[in-house]
Amino acid sequence: MLYALMGIGLSIITGVLNIPNFAHGALFALGAYFLVTLIQLLGNFWLALLLAPLGVGVIGIVIEYGGIRPLYRAGHDYQLLLTFGLSLIVTEGIIIVWSPVGMSQLPPPILRGGVDLGITIYPRYRLFVMAAAALLVLGAWLFLERTRYGAIMRAGIEDKEMVSLLGIDIHRLFTAAFALGCVLAGIAGALTAPIRGLNPWMGVDMLGIAFVVVALAGLGNLLGSIVAGLLVGVAQSLVALVWPEASVAVIFGVMTVVLLVRPQGLFGIR
Amino acid sequence: MSGLSRRDVVKLGSAAAAFGIGFPTVLRAQPKEVVMLGLWSFTGAFSDVGPVLDRGMKLALEERGMKVQSKTIKYITRDDETKAGSATRRAEEAVDSDGAKFIIGPWSSGVALAVSEVAKRKKVFHYFSGGTEDISGARCHRYSFQWAASPYTAAKTVVDTFMQANPKAKRWHLLVADYAFGWSVEKYIKEVGKGHGIEFVGADRHPLGEREFSNYVTKAAGNKPDVVAMINFGLDAVTGAREIFNFGLTPKVPLILTWSSGVEELVQLNPEIRENLWVGSNFYYTADTPIAREFVKSYQAKFGNPPGYAPAAAYGMTRMTLAAMDKAKSTEVADVVKALEGLELDDLVGRMRVDAKTHQTLRPYFFMRCKKKDAMKGPMDFADIIATGSTPLPAEYAACKDIGSL
Repeated sequence: MLYALMGIGLSIITGVLNIPNFAHGALFALGAYFLVTLIQLLGNFWLALLLAPLGVGVIGIVIEYGGIRPLYRAGHDYQLLLTFGLSLIVTEGIIIVWSPVGMSQLPPPILRGGVDLGITIYPRYRLFVMAAAALLVLGAWLFLERTRYGAIMRAGIEDKEMVSLLGIDIHRLFTAAFALGCVLAGIAGALTAPIRGLNPWMGVDMLGIAFVVVALAGLGNLLGSIVAGLLVGVAQSLVALVWPEASVAVIFGVMTVVLLVRPQGLFGIR
Repeated sequence: MSGLSRRDVVKLGSAAAAFGIGFPTVLRAQPKEVVMLGLWSFTGAFSDVGPVLDRGMKLALEERGMKVQSKTIKYITRDDETKAGSATRRAEEAVDSDGAKFIIGPWSSGVALAVSEVAKRKKVFHYFSGGTEDISGARCHRYSFQWAASPYTAAKTVVDTFMQANPKAKRWHLLVADYAFGWSVEKYIKEVGKGHGIEFVGADRHPLGEREFSNYVTKAAGNKPDVVAMINFGLDAVTGAREIFNFGLTPKVPLILTWSSGVEELVQLNPEIRENLWVGSNFYYTADTPIAREFVKSYQAKFGNPPGYAPAAAYGMTRMTLAAMDKAKSTEVADVVKALEGLELDDLVGRMRVDAKTHQTLRPYFFMRCKKKDAMKGPMDFADIIATGSTPLPAEYAACKDIGSL
């Protein structure tokens, strides 16, 4: 589900802005670090979990406004360089502000420990993350499918010029789309922190997986991102049970097979 | 060749001659200089350890004013990328181009075994600290030495001490890093465990750099062990310990980090996760020796935090190498190798002796128990040393039958 969250966020940015956001992994890490700092400041996990992704969203607005906007007409190479450079800047920024040494964040007391499910023991916090991520994915999908602004965003993915001709402020749409993508990356990062801990490079693996999800889904396909996120997660978990060494490779194996059979992705249109 | 005149050819020839003959006189090490290579991971799986290893080696050299036997020490580093291919390529390049004759490192056992072959081929000195027993075992030779305790010494210290404190904890589940270091330590944990009647209810291996431990922990929980022992290192150990806590196994079930970096790992875990955590390591900063006390003091003054096993190993190996140069009154590789063989002295972790037959450094291994949150006197007061052990590898297990000639 976390992969789906990352995938949707990246898909929105890739679809609406037509930009490969290489900073998505670093923003994921930033969500985790914001969570830890907010918990230290506020002493409340839940409030921190709410505010951390919003903080990442604000960073996203600043990035879009100050960095990406001047490059919309400059071509893909410049945007690619910019987002790649931003990922390095954010990672180095994390090292400067928080230190290169990793850290742990405990789940809130109510979610600590495991639940005996009869056949196995499973951590309470992971169950919470599964439920929360499922609700968030559903919420994101409902927002994009059932609200007016979601419809505008989807229209932006289909045809930006037409949306612009209809009198909609396309720049505001771009900012909102980038910020929404960043918020989703921030949520995924914050939710992951108590499971995987924190280190400045934690977004690197996640960025690779998010791009796999987007490529599997078909560029800019939101429903596809959800399905592809689930597919990647399930494939990884199943393979890890029988052949742990291959649990990362299987992600790229699935992508290779799908792209060989359907080069446009599972839900993409040729 | 059509565009080249005879004069151009002469110019190119002169330039090539300058490159081939003139340059080496500038680039090659001067005879009054001893070039020491710190081969560390600045990228790759152990990238977090490279900078602290570099600190430890520098500190040992700076203590000597960058001089040994009236010669200036030139310290160079290379990034091994935690990969055998990169490490061997860069080590060879440092030997050929920079005149490096003394290699300290790398950090990963698998990578070190490859570098050890380079040392043998190029006839350069090599000191390594890590969990594989092969450097001083099946693949021993005259040019490579091992600073870390033998995996047997570690296993004996950990299992004996733990069983003394928890005689009823007979069901052990092992979680092992699937490479040279993990296999060596696992073998001896099982061997020593037999003597205590330990039943190994599970032993799962995970790849180096594993970040998703839930499947392994699910399996461990299903086995209902009395204790979980991990034989892994660095971020793998931190991630595993965190996941075992999240599943609710610790603190009810004790967790052993059999071969830990100490401070560098413990600082990444919350006190709640460290509760009922038992830690074996080649160094802990409260080690009560005069050299350790001085080292910890100067390291803390310079870098803020106390040193863990990694900087201590780099520091210790460099000190032992310099001590061998002093004993040999020479900086020639063959002399230093002979001097280090059998060298016995009180050094960083106590009494240390290099076994001439295997090149294994015989030395104490530490076993700690982590403190509860309310017992900690400061944020870095993680644990108490509850035992040190130095039982050497019994002769029947020794795989280094003939260390060969120089």
